[in-house]
Amino acid sequence: MTLLAVPVKKGLLKSGQLLWLLVKIIVPISCLVAILDYYGIIESFAAFFAPAMSLFGLPGETTIALLLSFFVNFYAAIGVITAMSLDARQITVLAVMIGICHELPVETAICSYTGLKVPVSAALRIITALCAGLLLNNIYNLF
Amino acid sequence: MEIILLIYETIVSTLISLGRLALILVPILVLIEIARYYQVIEKLTSRVKGFMQFLTLPQEAAFPLLGGMIFGIVLGSALIIDCAREGHLEKRDLLLIGIFLSISHSIIEDTFIFAAFGANPLIMIGMRTILAILITRIAAYFLDRLNNQEPYRL
Repeated sequence: MTLLAVPVKKGLLKSGQLLWLLVKIIVPISCLVAILDYYGIIESFAAFFAPAMSLFGLPGETTIALLLSFFVNFYAAIGVITAMSLDARQITVLAVMIGICHELPVETAICSYTGLKVPVSAALRIITALCAGLLLNNIYNLF
Repeated sequence: MEIILLIYETIVSTLISLGRLALILVPILVLIEIARYYQVIEKLTSRVKGFMQFLTLPQEAAFPLLGGMIFGIVLGSALIIDCAREGHLEKRDLLLIGIFLSISHSIIEDTFIFAAFGANPLIMIGMRTILAILITRIAAYFLDRLNNQEPYRL
């Protein structure tokens, strides 16, 4: 048992830090979304993007989640998702798109160490995420 | 007054869903740390020969590739820099690892965070891994053509 003590302690410490980070990011963002929703701002925003998002089988307001995950990080996107009511299929499509493409400013910089240029890597991830969403939505439509 | 109530309700429901997330996330993060402590990745690298061959990458690339895929892009790129310094990998190999990892990294942590909110974890992992493999393979083909080398045949 003593053998496991070191990694378990490290894992618990890391989870604590990550959860605190999540609280700091997600709580303010979901409050902001709730307030914007209360004043009907989200509704008009969503209506504008609804045709584009219908390609992925998603409601228009998920544009906010996608944009937040692309340019900030995916914890911010979770703040938006918790404030919306989405079914399992919609969350899965959104999760795949966000999983492929998130935190671009930081992660493309990290990836540039491999020789992959920042604009190339950003474009690659955005295009892949959009294609994945389109593909997954069509696969779901088959069933 | 109504808006204060709304904010209060939002905070409560967000904290509840974060609590649900913690139930999944804490065990996963502890397991990942245990796997890192017992150097599971080092033991896995010898078993993915076919996978590396399909990606047209040398065996030395397996360690940073799997490390980044499971533990995250930061660790992955640290391992890549290490490998590059030791001179095991060519420029082309590094670029391909970068392409693979930019699409598919820290798949365990990311997937379980979304699974806590109702996403299907198998579809998430499957989509990301398959797309990363396909795109890396296609990139390998075109990189080799660009460098006037004989493209790898399957």
